[in-house]
Amino acid sequence: MFVRRWFRFRGVDAAQKRFIAFTVIPLVLYMGFWTLFPLLWGFALAFFRYSARRAGGPFLGLGGDNPFVGLAHFQAMLNFSPDAPLHVRTFHIGVKVTLLFAAMVVPLNLMITLPLAVLIESVHRRMRPIFRTAFFLPVLAPSVGVAIMWGYIYHPQRGLLNAILRKILGHMVVINWLGDPKLTIWGIPVALFAILIAYLWQDMGYNLVIFIAALQSIPDYLRDAARIDGVNGWQMFTKITLPLLMPTIQLTAILTMISAFQIFDLVQVMTDGGPKYQTQVLLLHIYNYAFRFQRMGWAAAVSVVMFLMILTISLVQSRFLKARWEY
Amino acid sequence: MFGKRSRWYTLILLILVLALLAACGGKATQAPAATQPAEQPTKAPEKPTQAPEKPKAEKVTLRVWTHQNESFNNAYKALADKYMAEHPNVDIQFETFDYDTYIQTLQTALPAGTEADVLQMFGSWVCSYAEGNNLAEVPADMLTVDKAQGMFFGPPIGGYICDGKLYGVPQEFNIEYGAALVNTKLAQEVGATNYEKGWGSWDDLIEDAKKLTVIEDGAMTRAGFMFTHADGISTMFYSLIRQYGGQYLQDGVFKVTTPEAEKALALMKRFVDEKVIDPVLFNDEENWVGDAFFDQLVGIAVIGPWVIPEYGADYPDVVKVAKYVKLPYEGDKPTFVAASGWGLTVSNNSKVKDVAWDFVQFVTMNADNALQWNLATGTLPALSANTEGTAKEKLVGEFPYFEPFLEILPYGEYEGAFPDRDFVWYEVTYPEVLNFLQGNQTAEETLKNIEQAVQESMK
Repeated sequence: MFVRRWFRFRGVDAAQKRFIAFTVIPLVLYMGFWTLFPLLWGFALAFFRYSARRAGGPFLGLGGDNPFVGLAHFQAMLNFSPDAPLHVRTFHIGVKVTLLFAAMVVPLNLMITLPLAVLIESVHRRMRPIFRTAFFLPVLAPSVGVAIMWGYIYHPQRGLLNAILRKILGHMVVINWLGDPKLTIWGIPVALFAILIAYLWQDMGYNLVIFIAALQSIPDYLRDAARIDGVNGWQMFTKITLPLLMPTIQLTAILTMISAFQIFDLVQVMTDGGPKYQTQVLLLHIYNYAFRFQRMGWAAAVSVVMFLMILTISLVQSRFLKARWEY
Repeated sequence: MFGKRSRWYTLILLILVLALLAACGGKATQAPAATQPAEQPTKAPEKPTQAPEKPKAEKVTLRVWTHQNESFNNAYKALADKYMAEHPNVDIQFETFDYDTYIQTLQTALPAGTEADVLQMFGSWVCSYAEGNNLAEVPADMLTVDKAQGMFFGPPIGGYICDGKLYGVPQEFNIEYGAALVNTKLAQEVGATNYEKGWGSWDDLIEDAKKLTVIEDGAMTRAGFMFTHADGISTMFYSLIRQYGGQYLQDGVFKVTTPEAEKALALMKRFVDEKVIDPVLFNDEENWVGDAFFDQLVGIAVIGPWVIPEYGADYPDVVKVAKYVKLPYEGDKPTFVAASGWGLTVSNNSKVKDVAWDFVQFVTMNADNALQWNLATGTLPALSANTEGTAKEKLVGEFPYFEPFLEILPYGEYEGAFPDRDFVWYEVTYPEVLNFLQGNQTAEETLKNIEQAVQESMK
């Protein structure tokens, strides 16, 4: 039926449709196979005790030595007793660390990048590209390189940070910024702060560029009208610029939050989740259990939980940060 | 309109499903082939020592996968060239991967059937791949389990025997414990001399280590005795349990809430209390033992002799003054646990298994070739014959670092058949014992955590 209808396409409209079909279908197939299938596969694995090393059943290795366990992984996640298995306890730590990291990254990133964007926009037109480039350059640096560089900065013996402290204090300073579990500030591990600083350094260029573009899109007449009404610089920022930037702030907050949830490379290279699991984010937990310890079923179940967490927080964020101003 | 769109979606989904089924079909057809070689060893060999049938003279390409280690790969290359000279019809192609990538590639390629013919494997991994029917059994006419146990040391061959079947041949007796590397130049500078006669007790070692330790303004800038890295902690912990007369793995049951394990932890803590190591500053994450020793941030380090060729080119001055000294031990003999060692296996999917096994035999069972590989890689021989007589003289003559290890090899024990050894060693034992040494938890909590986590992983 469908094929007959296909061949009945005639005229310009039909030609356009055929063109669209021929160009879109390969992409849809590509995305379907490389994105949709792994996604569905990931969901399916969450219900199995699966390891790629085991032969398993005849259909995609499921069943047999990779048995169906239903909701067992998810039930295990709800075991909050101190005697819970290690993978469950480290999962709980992973959730806490990831939420804490994202909770710190989003406001800090916005607090740095938004004023910085306003600042860059306020300098002379010729100077702006220099600042934009300077702040955007770390984004282009490979994450592993950034992690190694910051690892050297924080190194207890050879690190730049301790060397500066030694110069300032005039005596030997050997602080293990990334590896001492007893080092905390307000109960938050210093190692997590150390990773946070490296992450912000690398990541803020993105939001900066988005904010600069948003600032440039605010019509001049609104600012001119405000000036005629006698507002000062602070009022201009809080009463005019900020409300008009709300859609952009909403977008960057969600993107930053998602990106913060997905932090992996910096953590893996800088601390590998240590000390004492204090920096073990969820993605590192997933990676470890999927690829190092071959418990792909458990890792897939954690991925599903992570997906739901990001989805929920994104929906909540978009509701609370909904723009009330349009221009 | 909706109907038309719906049909489009149907077509797309149909194609997707077909693509998926096509992929599944490909895998399913490989499965029966994968089970075939398992039948081979059931034939009782008439002549166990007989070499496998010589490969036919047709052109054969043999793919070999190894992990990236310069000395290992140069040694493999030299033996491959020698083999190809003897077998001009065989072309051996090496593909190497960095360590982490190699592990992940094996994990995904083996089930997918895209791996090479010959796979370099660490003995402790072999059974988990054999369990998935991914590895071929060693042909009985090449080597039987009984013969292998007679030819090779227990720890290295232990990793290659799974459920009474042999899945590969070891080349290395991987040893991370039993002797420690001493920077003799630093030791002379600070007057640490006990190591020269050999440490008779832990007190002797601690005395040397104390002299080698440097503490400035309360911060340790050089550690006297480093064992607080993943392999050091794990091998020392389990070796000490065995030396104190305990067992941690018996009849498939893992147990460390024992007095022997408590004693092991107490001894390890003593080094921290004596201030010859700061486990917060010296561990895998901050100062890995190899880097720390050759950067002269550590005076005495627990690490295997493979580290010498690995660092030799970059740190020739330190290598010159480095010397292995046997570690003191508890009980009546220097029992230590070892994690099998590197060796070669053959993929069950290989189309040229006979040539693959012939090459494996050439590299691992020919005593001269095996010795050549050990000398080039700085690894201890898995083949026990290569630790005796002229082979021993040659080993010690060319690589004097081996001497103290050769004396203790007979006391080595295979660490045990864990379903996931890396998990037990690196994810459980290392972080838990390190936490204890750093003062973050009690010995009781540490042992309980280790026991619970390992038991959980064995279910």
